[in-house]
Amino acid sequence: MRDFELLQPKNLADALDALAQNNASVHPLAGGTDMLVDIRAQRAQPDVLVALQNVNELRGVTRTNGHLRVGASTTIAEFLKNPLLTEHDALRQAASVFANPLIRNSATIAGNIGSASPAGDMLPPLLAFDAQIELVSKNGTRTMPLNEFFLGPRKTARNANELISNLQLPISNLQTASAFYKLGLRQADAISLVSVAVWLQRDSDMIRDVRIALGAVAPRPMRATRAEEILHGQIFNETNVKEAARVASEECAPIDDLRASANYRRRMVNVYVRRMLEQAWRNF
Amino acid sequence: MQRKTIHLTLNGEPREWSVYPNELLLNVLREQEFLTGAKYGCGIGECGACTVHLNGAPMLSCLTLAIACDGADILTIEGLARDGKLDAVQEAFLEHSAFQCGFCTPDMIMMTRALLNENPQPSEAQVRDYLRGNLCRCTGYASILRAALDAAAVLNVRRNIHAAEERADA
Repeated sequence: MRDFELLQPKNLADALDALAQNNASVHPLAGGTDMLVDIRAQRAQPDVLVALQNVNELRGVTRTNGHLRVGASTTIAEFLKNPLLTEHDALRQAASVFANPLIRNSATIAGNIGSASPAGDMLPPLLAFDAQIELVSKNGTRTMPLNEFFLGPRKTARNANELISNLQLPISNLQTASAFYKLGLRQADAISLVSVAVWLQRDSDMIRDVRIALGAVAPRPMRATRAEEILHGQIFNETNVKEAARVASEECAPIDDLRASANYRRRMVNVYVRRMLEQAWRNF
Repeated sequence: MQRKTIHLTLNGEPREWSVYPNELLLNVLREQEFLTGAKYGCGIGECGACTVHLNGAPMLSCLTLAIACDGADILTIEGLARDGKLDAVQEAFLEHSAFQCGFCTPDMIMMTRALLNENPQPSEAQVRDYLRGNLCRCTGYASILRAALDAAAVLNVRRNIHAAEERADA
């Protein structure tokens, strides 16, 4: 593996100093399951890595007045163990099919976001939960909708001197449900062909609020906003659900690649948006 | 690049390593400690051949920097037997011939051991799910699955006997 300098700051202030002072190619290192692979494949060539494992400020999951706050260093395995996270079906379901159990013990939520693969498994459920992302640097803190953070394949709004510090998910227990499905070519280590996350808020027979997020069918994980509009404030019935699924399959922008054709991906978006809406509704 | 000295526990013994920032845990285990049970398979986290326990959790040693293991407790397949006696998982793999070429056997055993530490009575589906990131190209997994479930059963019986003995003593 190529040479690099490794800094191991013990707190957030030192980590931000390290990112600010290094003019050379500097990059944060979280679980390493993407970064170390990328370095060996020479896709990434950092001169300095800032390891975040000892930065306690980036850890922890808390729930305060209507928000679930998820620390950047939260591992995917923790999404399967921490009751504050496992109670949300789409988050738990995505974590349970994320890579494999070994990767899940190292890989972090901020790493999955920072890598910004259009197929990142945790990204559609976070979009469906309308997550806000907090970025911190020596100059201060800024928060933006996660949906605006992804600029394209492996491109994000993070500046080189910034760290992802946490995610904030607005949580309402008032008649909400969610669901996630990943369509892959095999059971383990699959890169999704299509992934779908939905979040619903119900008011008797009506869909009070809805969010639909799609993975691996556009240059970045996306919200299917036109499909959401079809359901918003409407009765949950077969006609509306089918129409929303059809519209979602139209508004995504998949490509042909070695895993699947664009046409197949569109058809699967249609199928799985419908199924996930039905599954979430059954969960009420 | 500068070496850094780190201290850790390896298979119950204290160790001091002097490592470069870009050295992988797997390479230090194999090339400095000569513990060759953990293998280099794919190098990208898809085969599980390099599995060791790091602070009690199964980890990919080929995607772990050695320098990050300062203060850690590491267990490899070589440290699993205690006082010359094989672990129940090792015995079960022997009993069921849960190997052919043996390349994946150390990782399969370490992964099964980690599963049984977390979940002493797993269902067949839970074993399959937990071993999903560990590849075997010979056995078809059937014998590995049988060995894992058998080890769970044996350990359960031992726990029951132990509990009964403690009650008898009390």
